[in-house]
Amino acid sequence: MPQSADKVLDHAPLFREPEYQEMLENKKLKFECGHPDELVKEIGDWSKSWEYREKNLAREAATINPAKACQPLGAVFASAGYEKTMSFVHGSQGCVAYYRSHLSRHFKEPASCVSSSMTEDAAVFGGLINMVDGLANTKALYDPSMIAVSTTCMAEVIGDDLNSFIIQAKEKGSVEADFNVPYAHTPAFVGSHVDGYDNMQKGILSNFWDKAETRVANDSINIIPGFDGFAVGNVRELKRVLAEMGIGDYTILSDVSDVYDTPSDGEFRMYSGGTKIEDIPKALNAKATLSLQQYCTPKTLAYCKDKGQETASFHYPMGVKGTDGFLMKLSELTGKEIPESLRLERGRLIDAMADSQAYLHGKTYAIYGDPDFVYAMAAFILETGGEPRHCLATNGSKAWAKQMQELLDSSPFGKECQVWAGKDLWHMRSFLNTEPVDILIGSSYGKYLERDTGTPLLRLAFPIFDRHHHHRFPTMFYQGTLTVLVKMLDLIFDKLDDDTIDPGKTDYSFDLTR
Amino acid sequence: MADALKSKIADVFDEPACGTNRGKSEHQRKKGCAKPLTPGAAAGGCAFDGAKIALQPIVDVAHLVHAPLACEGNGWDNRGAASSGSELYRTGFTTDLTELDIVMGHGEKKLFRAIREVIERHHPPAVFVYSTCVPALIGDDIDAVCKAAAQKFGTPCIPVNAPGYEGSKNLGNKLAGEALLDHVIGTIEPEDSTPYDVNIIGDYNLSGELWQVKPLLDRLGIRILGSITGDARYRQVAMAHRAKVTMLVCSKALITLARKLEERHGIPFFEGSFYGITDTSEALRTLCRTLVERGADAELLDRCEALIAEEEARIWDALAPYRPKVAGRKVLLYTGGHKSWSVVAALQELGMEVIGTSVRKATEEDKERVTEIMQTDAHMFDNMAPKDMYRLLKDAGADVLMSGGRSQFVALKAKVPWVDVNQEKHEPYAGYMGMLDLVRAIDRAVNNPMWADLRSPAPWDEPLPDFGTYVPPLRGTCPVTHASTEGAGTSPTRAATARSEAPAENGLTGFASSQTDFEDC
Repeated sequence: MPQSADKVLDHAPLFREPEYQEMLENKKLKFECGHPDELVKEIGDWSKSWEYREKNLAREAATINPAKACQPLGAVFASAGYEKTMSFVHGSQGCVAYYRSHLSRHFKEPASCVSSSMTEDAAVFGGLINMVDGLANTKALYDPSMIAVSTTCMAEVIGDDLNSFIIQAKEKGSVEADFNVPYAHTPAFVGSHVDGYDNMQKGILSNFWDKAETRVANDSINIIPGFDGFAVGNVRELKRVLAEMGIGDYTILSDVSDVYDTPSDGEFRMYSGGTKIEDIPKALNAKATLSLQQYCTPKTLAYCKDKGQETASFHYPMGVKGTDGFLMKLSELTGKEIPESLRLERGRLIDAMADSQAYLHGKTYAIYGDPDFVYAMAAFILETGGEPRHCLATNGSKAWAKQMQELLDSSPFGKECQVWAGKDLWHMRSFLNTEPVDILIGSSYGKYLERDTGTPLLRLAFPIFDRHHHHRFPTMFYQGTLTVLVKMLDLIFDKLDDDTIDPGKTDYSFDLTR
Repeated sequence: MADALKSKIADVFDEPACGTNRGKSEHQRKKGCAKPLTPGAAAGGCAFDGAKIALQPIVDVAHLVHAPLACEGNGWDNRGAASSGSELYRTGFTTDLTELDIVMGHGEKKLFRAIREVIERHHPPAVFVYSTCVPALIGDDIDAVCKAAAQKFGTPCIPVNAPGYEGSKNLGNKLAGEALLDHVIGTIEPEDSTPYDVNIIGDYNLSGELWQVKPLLDRLGIRILGSITGDARYRQVAMAHRAKVTMLVCSKALITLARKLEERHGIPFFEGSFYGITDTSEALRTLCRTLVERGADAELLDRCEALIAEEEARIWDALAPYRPKVAGRKVLLYTGGHKSWSVVAALQELGMEVIGTSVRKATEEDKERVTEIMQTDAHMFDNMAPKDMYRLLKDAGADVLMSGGRSQFVALKAKVPWVDVNQEKHEPYAGYMGMLDLVRAIDRAVNNPMWADLRSPAPWDEPLPDFGTYVPPLRGTCPVTHASTEGAGTSPTRAATARSEAPAENGLTGFASSQTDFEDC
């Protein structure tokens, strides 16, 4: 055997040993009974053709490799940003395990979340008992200050009514009557995680705000960051920008920056940081609520407006103009001037873009991810003289597609771009094969497209499972945009080095200075 | 300074083929053409650097720098001279002299041992040994070491005596040429010699520029026998004395070398350039004409004309799609020498307006050509201090500056796009097709949307919008309704105060204003 106790091989080299190779070969020969390699290759090549792309786009029922997650994931993410809040997902427990692993694999942190663990009898008789027991157990076991309830499909299909269930549970003494149990119905078969985020935010706010007698407007502002894989870095950057502006009177509604970034000091923190519970009712009196991601907050902002607040939303404030717009709004709302420090940051960002312009100009990109991110990324690429060619959001709506088109029409560099709302990553494969681009921007799932089509992947969208710690660095505002710019350039230069690395053949351009 | 080196320097400075030198009085000529360095003023590279960059493109030899670490460490592989084979020239060999070596006088022994190790390990056809300030000051005799090592190991060891303190980069270039003349050229006889053998001197194959020209020569059946030093092999340099004609490209640095090749080996030389379309054609014509004069078949001239006609037609076709992207743009050229005019014609042909060109390092002929092409000499300028350049860019409303790397930041501060046309650029612009690369680079530079961000003020600095008639805020109590309006009305204000554009002068304080050492020389 190639494996021995003296020298234990890791699995990668181990299975390359002749014994294993032979075994794998035999398995293929005797049990797979597949088509000959030539035929597999032939069909594989055909699947990269325009003809296949037409068939792929004609697909009606099957979605292959969707670039979106489900509502409860967004709800869990939103609730995690509040102080000592436990997410409670009413439904089957398997779903909840998925949200936890998803968030853990991305943030490399524990992600706490419980479910009402409904089983078949709960499906038949309704999940009330699971809710009653579940809330009591959650309170007893994990001592939260607030339990945020969302739902899985199972509860939604049988039509469990959260409002009535929670009232009944409180009546049965499962938790005290004044204990905060905000809720949101979050069926996965409607919308995506960005909608779940929206529903849960609205649920939490209305839990506190609907009780309030009157709203006494003050000068404070609320900011909702939205669902964002880079939230740890971005929320901290947001706070820094606000401090530079001299704005102290604000509430970030759902601040996950400390939840998903706890230190290793011997203590396990089930809850860490987050928006203070006491700040939520006060936030009603704010002058305005700003959303950093429009498509993460349509209902929440409508609700805030209903309560008499000014509202404004942005598309993931990134890039020069993206950040300009956000800062101008802040300045307008608070009466604070844009400070010299931010002016300098802006100048440095533009300086960096100017320095590297020759390498960025005319590069072509395919982008996928959440609607606001794709919008911001495309807008920034246009600013660098790059050309977005494919902008895809599986959870993008017609309204999003229209907004994207308007953005692309505003620049000659957006002329050749196609917007793909509701399409999936198997569609993206066809696009990359038939109309190739220089760079693919998306999540870790793009690595298969990278391998398949040879398009280098830049990981800037949730989830990022196979690279560590990127979420600790901001991607928003001037400073964050600089990070994004450097990532883009690193990829471009790595590719350039890679293409010129053959000694004596291509390395006449393997330059020390670029 | 060693006497030998002293007389060598006096010799290279008294260059009869140099127009500037001819114009000098006997007394001035004696003083040499070294510009005195001004202590405290910004200065360019040293003689060692000049020697090293001139010789480094000889790709198959080991370049061994006899110095403390930094001379090689800082200059290691800093130019994109491309090689079609060996990568040995990119390896940084140095004796890494340390305090003990210097105090104890171990330099020569260490150098000898270093030569041995390099030869044993890499078997190069030759080792180029560079002297630098430290060994020159402590009196290491690299000539003697090289002689001993060459005898002992049977591999040529070429001493390059250009310690940094001797002077400028340009002097270093010249001393490098001397080293080649004294120790390399003429040491190997070619196996066969044809009437179509030429030398190309002063092209360093940066970004592969020589390769953009070589296919043209190949089609004419012309062989580059001696390449000094673009993509050169040691043997190629050693055989240079058997070429029929020398083309001196774009550089006054090695004019002494070209002249001495003519004197010693009877090879006529001419100055030519592969930048620009007409220039490339002109260079090919002269090359062929001289070859025919020296014994090549006269039909070469016809083939040459046919090639020129074909290539010119091809490049103009290829350039046509770029015309709408660059037409009407104003260009300021800051290069020098022949490039002053050779690129101008092509840019004008594409509808671009050349608002000025520098004529530093340019000959009188160059200047005449500029006047001829631009129809006036009003837009010709010599060396330009950064602040003058800044002003010219601003005042003349240039859309793009084409210059060397050191003016890049002057351009950026003046918010003007910039295209690198000097030695550190990353794209080859030589030959006919090089023009396409150049125009593409211009398109990329001037049409990048980032300039809009760079030029326009931050949104909070934009002037206040015109609100029309100013309506003062309401004050006091309404005489009809008796309603109080205290604080209700506000006049239009903006949170952010508008800042006036800082006057241009303020931006200049950081620039060095030395007239002499601003650009690469």
